[in-house]
Amino acid sequence: MALNLCRRQQIALPLLRFNARRALSTATLPAETQNFTPSAPTSVLSETPNTHFKITLRRSGISMGKKIQGTLLALGFHRRHQTVYHPHSPEIAGKILRVKELVEVENVPTQLALTKQQQRQARKAPSGFEVVGLRRDNFMNV
Amino acid sequence: MFGAFRPTSVAQGGLLWKTPWKLSVTRKANARSRLKKVDAVIEAVRSSGVQCSALEHALKLPKEHEMPAKDKYTVFSPHEKGYRKGIHKVPKWTRLTLRTNPKGF
Repeated sequence: MALNLCRRQQIALPLLRFNARRALSTATLPAETQNFTPSAPTSVLSETPNTHFKITLRRSGISMGKKIQGTLLALGFHRRHQTVYHPHSPEIAGKILRVKELVEVENVPTQLALTKQQQRQARKAPSGFEVVGLRRDNFMNV
Repeated sequence: MFGAFRPTSVAQGGLLWKTPWKLSVTRKANARSRLKKVDAVIEAVRSSGVQCSALEHALKLPKEHEMPAKDKYTVFSPHEKGYRKGIHKVPKWTRLTLRTNPKGF
């Protein structure tokens, strides 16, 4: 690889690589990686396993044909940039791969798999006031 | 004037649809990034741990960094000289998977 290094950096570089190689060979691996077994894929943030596909439609299905448009409808897409959550299953995986050019996929744990109402609540801006009470709740109760 | 059509003299037929024979640098860069996005989708499905035949087919496709430039920017055509034409001549090419071509072409 051609790096634009000055003379001092060029001399120092092989030494850095040599030291790094020595460090890698003698470092003891932490206990978790030594007993690593490929089980349920985990999310980056914590140890919760990823159970859902988070699918976002990035390209539309216009002029792609009835079958592709039917696949998008089956996944629950009605417009571009819509996000949809589906649990892991071979059926959903097959549908995703049918429309893989149109879609963006991420694996998320169960807690982050939102329903349509939850997504809407997350999008809502704070209203600037808090409802403390309503007059109609006190009507005829006095 | 009429979108992709340019007006020409009436003697030549009146309308001419001109497209360049090869992709520009920008278009090639965009094509490469689209290939990488599809690779990311296939990788996400693979890392989910689900098993299906569609995934087995998808994993046999070459990744963007494994593809020769010829396969990224041209596609097999039985009618052209050299049996290849620009990939941008394929309708909806930005939304189709066109990674493999017949062996030997």
